[in-house]
Order: sequence, then structure tokens, then C-alpha cells
Amino acid sequence: MGIVEKSRLKSPWILHYDCSSCNGCDIEILACLTPYYDIERFGILSKGNPKHSDVLLVTGGVNHRNKTVLKNLYDQMPAPKVVIAIGACGSTGGIFHNCYNILGGADKIVPVDVYVPGCPPRPEAIIDGVVKALDKLKHLQNGTWKEPETGPIVVETAVGAKPAPAAKYANAAPAPTLNSQPTNKEA
Amino acid sequence: MPGMLKIIFGNLFKKRATRLYPFEKRAPFENARGSMDFAHMENCIFCNLCAKNCPPKAITVDRANKRNALDPLRCIQCGVCAEACPKKVIEMRGQYNEPCYAKRTHVAAQVVKCAQTPPEQK
Amino acid sequence: MVKSTITFGPQHPVFPEPIQFILKVVDEKVVLAEPQIGYVHRGIEKAFELNDPKDNIFLAERICGICPAPHTTAYVRGVESLMGIEAPPRAKYIRTIMNELNRIHSHILWAGLLGDAIGFESYFMQTWNYREKVLDAIEKISGHRVTYAMNAIGGVRRDMTNEQLRGLEKTMDYVESSLENIEDVMKDYTIKKRTQGIGILTEEEARRDGAVGPTARASGISQDLRTSGYDAYGDLKFEPVVVNNCDSYGRFAVRWQELKQSIDLIRQCIVKMPSGEILTKSNNPMNGEAISRVEAPRGELFYYIKGNGSKKLERVKVRTPTFANIIPTVTMLSKGCQVADVSVIVLSMDPCISCTER
Ligand code: SF4
Ligand code: SF4
Ligand code: SF4
Repeated sequence: MGIVEKSRLKSPWILHYDCSSCNGCDIEILACLTPYYDIERFGILSKGNPKHSDVLLVTGGVNHRNKTVLKNLYDQMPAPKVVIAIGACGSTGGIFHNCYNILGGADKIVPVDVYVPGCPPRPEAIIDGVVKALDKLKHLQNGTWKEPETGPIVVETAVGAKPAPAAKYANAAPAPTLNSQPTNKEA
Repeated sequence: MPGMLKIIFGNLFKKRATRLYPFEKRAPFENARGSMDFAHMENCIFCNLCAKNCPPKAITVDRANKRNALDPLRCIQCGVCAEACPKKVIEMRGQYNEPCYAKRTHVAAQVVKCAQTPPEQK
Repeated sequence: MVKSTITFGPQHPVFPEPIQFILKVVDEKVVLAEPQIGYVHRGIEKAFELNDPKDNIFLAERICGICPAPHTTAYVRGVESLMGIEAPPRAKYIRTIMNELNRIHSHILWAGLLGDAIGFESYFMQTWNYREKVLDAIEKISGHRVTYAMNAIGGVRRDMTNEQLRGLEKTMDYVESSLENIEDVMKDYTIKKRTQGIGILTEEEARRDGAVGPTARASGISQDLRTSGYDAYGDLKFEPVVVNNCDSYGRFAVRWQELKQSIDLIRQCIVKMPSGEILTKSNNPMNGEAISRVEAPRGELFYYIKGNGSKKLERVKVRTPTFANIIPTVTMLSKGCQVADVSVIVLSMDPCISCTER
């Protein structure tokens, strides 16, 4: 890895575009910059200029008017670039899924690399999302990126005609839950 | 800016304000609404109340196959489903779903198993 | 004289939200400003008609992520009056507390953004640091930092325990003392230079253009919907904050004093908090029309709700404070301000584009 690639990973610059979000996600992104979460610790800077940026954060669902703006911003960013869809709206349209002016998540217009669930996601989750995106960027630069699985995550719970005696399970490992088996581990 | 200078020098000696997030994780507050989880799936009666009450319609209940599916990327963490469920199947966890690379639904299924074998680790 | 046209936005570092301003400029002086909107229009008013009225609370909450409490309060109060029910007193107090916490966080957020627009970065950091404590208090009560989901038709969804009330009191003490720390900024020479006499809106103009909220109160109009005594405000003692500066500095001063007023109101609520139920359940049909008005951090929030007796609402119309404040802002901008002051003037009315366009 050359020095340019390395420094890109060490200090990614962020461009934030508010598609049609409710501001909830935007103020959480701003909160990431402020002393409590302070992502400048990692060299992450928020830039207003697409040509300076490596990471595009999209909040809110895409609508008919701003789809061209989003595409335009994405095209202006120099490769390699990653796109992070923040929040339920940025990923799928969320609560606005049946509004007439919402086309859906950002992935309708630009390829999205990381989805951050939540409405709005906590700043912690946004930081996690950026870290994941950088991980992907690293793999893309090294050519070691593997496409993630896309099928549903199934957690099965046994039900029996007769419930098993409680003592039998006392020492067994706890039944897996969705949270102990998060999406990213398989991906 | 003399007023501000006082604060700046004060901050030098105060405890730091920053939460060192990825290194020190803060425990969620009590009753925080984080991710939604079908925690006690064995009690589910597939009444469809959770899916009906969910504002963004993120839940689908498949009664025939005994499967409930959640689209975690559409869920807005309102906690309505947990309130609506008559069997208290659903729990709101303090922490969030983690960011993911691909859109995947979370499916919680009831499978009839022999009562003697412990639940399979999937 | 060469007249040139400058377009600001829609993606511009100064504005966190997409809005476009087309400025006609002669020698760095703005002579005409045209706002162009529509970048965040979602069609929420139509979605209100498609959804179940209960789900609409969450939709109303997401009209604006900065002031979810006033939006849901206004919506819920409208539906309650259609149904002919009223929330129990304790629920009203909890709603008031959430509204005031919302106002505190919104005004601190605004003060920080103003510092950012002026170029006073450390002020931005400091204020947002204090704001984080308010968000923690909100999260402890409601379970979420930004979207509270506290209101329900007929009351509130979560009760407040005594520990929470006591914790809230402590947070208020903290916020008050930290605000005193940075109060000197109001007297600062640079801040005064950047805000005094910038963005002048006289009382006459404010009345003519229909300014609301702090923008109107900074022009000497004593107009505060909370004095109408909805929810618990009838039981609380307060006076609307009015100053006569008529400029950006005046709007700063109004918000600063309102912060203290909100802290005081929350303390009064904690002392007077009644006990009892928090939810009135009802299945009454929603019939007729209702108007509900609430004082949001940015001014008067107006909901018109029409029901026709069926399960869904027939029409919901939302008029947000920023919408009312757009014309006054254009008036301020068109008086020949400098290009460098445009961001300060626009910020001084605290724009919230996403709720304007819905
Ligand atoms: S995900 Fe939630 S908070 Fe974020 S923009 Fe959408 S509605 Fe607002
Ligand atoms: S409401 Fe509860 S019991 Fe009914 S289908 Fe949903 S999870 Fe199952
Ligand atoms: S928490 Fe709310 S949005 Fe999420 S599944 Fe439950 S009802 Fe639906």
C-alpha cells in the first residue's frame, strides 16, 4: 500500500448531503464532530466540497428534486469513494416509505456501501459505520473485497409439544438472539 | 474573547468531555429504545398486532410458516410493537443494530423440535 | 453598476440543510434574495391521510428532527380535540417538560451554529458540549436522544419517576451554570460587530410580514403562544421575552433569555408535577375540524386537522414557524446587506428547512 492509500485510510474526509432527511440524522452527524464524540480524533474532517472528500454520508430518502443533486455530488467525488446511508430513511425510506415524493433509500440513485440503521442512529453507530466503510475501502484498495451475503438472517427458536425441563438448559449456552449475531459478522 | 479564554484554560484542567467511543463503550441508559428484537419467540401466537401497529410497516408476520421478519433498516425504534404485543414477545434492547454492508432481513422463526435436544446454535 | 447573480446551495458548507438562495449582488451588496426550496419536500401531509392516526404521531415527529416535541404535541392536541378528550394533568406536565427540554436543546444548537457561521469555532464546540447533557437528560426520560416518541393520543407513553425528576433538576443546575460560563460571549466585541445592526427587521415590517417566534419577539412584538395556557403553561408563571433591538443581536438575546426561562419553567413543572394517570384511552370517532397551535422553539406551529368520522384523517395541514419567517428574512436580506452577512442573517431566524417543506 502506497503512502497515498494509507493516508486516505488514516484521514478520510467526509461530505455530508442531506437528501430529504428530517434533520435528526444531520444533527447527529454534527454531534459526532463536537467534543462528546469528536471524530477528528481519527483524522475525519467534514468538508463541504465533494472534490475533497472520500466518504459521502447521505441522510434521508431521495426525492424527485434532489436525486440529480445527489448523483452530481457522487460523480464529482474522486475514486475510490464510499457511500454511507445514514438512518432508516437513507437506507430504505423508513417512515416516509409511503410519501409520494420519496423514491426510497439512497441506493436507488448511487451505490451504497454501508447502511447505518436507526432513526436517527446514535453518534456511536455513525462512527461504527464510518469505520466499516473505511474497512471496505481498505479491502477495495487491496483487491481483497468479498461481496457480503444478502440472504435473511434466520434465528430459530425451538418450540416443543412438551417444553423441556428447565434444569436441562441451565448450563446450556444461551439461545442465540438477533443481537448476539449481528449482520456484520457474517459479511 | 476574554470570557472564552477562561473556559479554554479551565478545560485544560477539567475531565475530558469526549467519550472515547470505540475504545470505551458507554452502557445504554435504562429503558433506552435501541434495536427491536423478537426475544421470546417461543410465545408468539402470530396475531399480527405488531405488524399492524408498526408505523413504517417494518414487520411481516407469516402465520403459515411461523416466521416473523423484521427489516432492521426500516425500523424506526419507536417501541410500538413491544407495547402492542399481547404475549410480550418483543423487547427493545438498549443498543443499536450494527451498521451493515448489505440489506438483510432479520427472521425469527418457530421450529418444532424434539423437546430433549437443546436449541441448535445457528 | 454590474449586477451579478450568486447562487448559494443547495449543497453549501454554511447550511446544514439544502436550500438555495439566489442573490442579486451589486458590489458585494445584496439587492435581491430569492429562496428556492423543494429539495427536502417529502409529501408528509398526504401521508398523514394514508396512515393510521396513531402512526401519524411518529410521522409528525419526523417532520423536524430538531423539534419533535412541539410537532407531536400540536398533532396530538388536535386529534384529542376532534375526539373530545383531554390528556390527564400529569401527562400535560410531562409534555410541557419535553417541550421545554426541546427548546433548550434547540436554542443551544442554534447558538452553536451561529458561532460556526461567524467563525467562532470554539464557541460552537462549547455550546454543543453543553447541549449533549440536555440530550442525555432527554434520553433518560424518553429512551431516545432525538426522536422522543413520548406523546400518544390522550396522554404520554412513558411516565417519569421521581428519580428522573430529581436527575432532571440536577441537569438543569448544570445547564444553568454552564450557560453562565459562556454568557460573556454576548458582550464580546466581535459578536457584537457581526450581529448588531445586521439583518434589521423593524416592528412594522415584522407585523406586515407575519414574523413569528423569537424573530418577532426581537422586534418588540410580545407574541408568545405559551401565554394562551395550553398544556401546563396555564399553571406556570412566566413572561414572554421581548427585546427591541430589531437585529440579529436582538434575536440572539431573546434566545439566550428564553433558555433561562425554559430552565425556570422546567423547575416549576418539577415542583408542581401532579400525580395520577398519564393516558386517557378513547375510541371516539374523529369528526369535524380542529386547529391546534403550539409555541415551537422557532415560533408558532399551526396544525389544521380534519376528520370525517372514518378511521383515517381527511386532511392535515401544517404551517411551520420557518415558513412564516421566510418573508421577513427576504425583507432583511434585501436591505442591502453584505454577502458575508447573508449566512448570519439567515441563521438568525433559525431556519429549519425540512419542516418548512415537509
Ligand atoms: S432516519 Fe429518522 S431521524 Fe434520520 S432522517 Fe429519517 S426520519 Fe429523520
Ligand atoms: S404481536 Fe407479538 S404475538 Fe402477535 S405476532 Fe407480533 S410478536 Fe407474535
Ligand atoms: S420498533 Fe417501531 S418501527 Fe421498529 S419494528 Fe417495532 S413498531 Fe416497527
